Amino acid sequence: MMPSPNDDQQQRTERDQAFAATALPHLSTIARVAMALTGDAADTEDLVQETFLRAYRHWHTFQAGSDCKSWLATICRHTFAEQRRRQNRSVAVDDQELESLAAARTHNAARSKGVDDMYARLDLGPAIANAIRALEPHYRDVVLLVDVDGFSYEEVATSLDVPVGTVRSRLYRARRQLQEALVDFAVDAGYASPSYTLPPTSSERRNA
Amino acid sequence: MPSRAQCEAVLRQLWPFLDGMISETQREAILVHFEQCADCESHFDFAKAFLEAIAESKPYLDVDDGLSEKVMAALASEGFGGKSA
Repeated sequence: MMPSPNDDQQQRTERDQAFAATALPHLSTIARVAMALTGDAADTEDLVQETFLRAYRHWHTFQAGSDCKSWLATICRHTFAEQRRRQNRSVAVDDQELESLAAARTHNAARSKGVDDMYARLDLGPAIANAIRALEPHYRDVVLLVDVDGFSYEEVATSLDVPVGTVRSRLYRARRQLQEALVDFAVDAGYASPSYTLPPTSSERRNA
Repeated sequence: MPSRAQCEAVLRQLWPFLDGMISETQREAILVHFEQCADCESHFDFAKAFLEAIAESKPYLDVDDGLSEKVMAALASEGFGGKSA
């Protein structure tokens, strides 16, 4: 029996509902993937639109229950690869263990400045967002994709077409810069513990 | 009391530990170290709180409504939401 127009409309409605509930919530995440790929706001908008158009057209190939975020990221990457020739970007791999040691030093600095409980005491969301936006793009993109959006090192390496070691290196460097920025923010905003005497300002330290 | 060298060896694994990127043997050795060294554990706790704060900042990093509207308009031209292609 031929499907009636009503059946067809019902199927389309169900498809759209599934797409809206499953794919569209990842819009911000895919925008960050696109920004990491293009490095340009206008190109990002175009890439995000094309990604969601392709996802919608090929929604029937998405397996319900599988990872939609990764599926969309793959479409985004393939779309980008079609639009542009891949660039071989090489970045020196930093000493990743030294970045781990630096995290401990940052904690010591926070402790000495009386803000080592800042994550428990403060809502740092806006300050973190500002600090992330202030990072250099290749650090910002990796920390967004791994620490905010939850992609694996391997997924980010594939998306950005760089070695996993480069992802790890950039991530650790980004984390150190963010930690230092947040400690400075907490001190500058006057969140040091009441019993603590404020240290010299950064300009005072430079002039000392 | 662990030696400074032992602490440094543990601290060098801070991010790999928190990211779950080390072996089970390495992970257990670090946990044993924590039993003897509260200071190292506090460094890991501070870094863990940092990562949690980063993850919780997501709402402040989402795209603006402008891009969302453009994507919805593009999808509508494709038939999304009942409009014909």
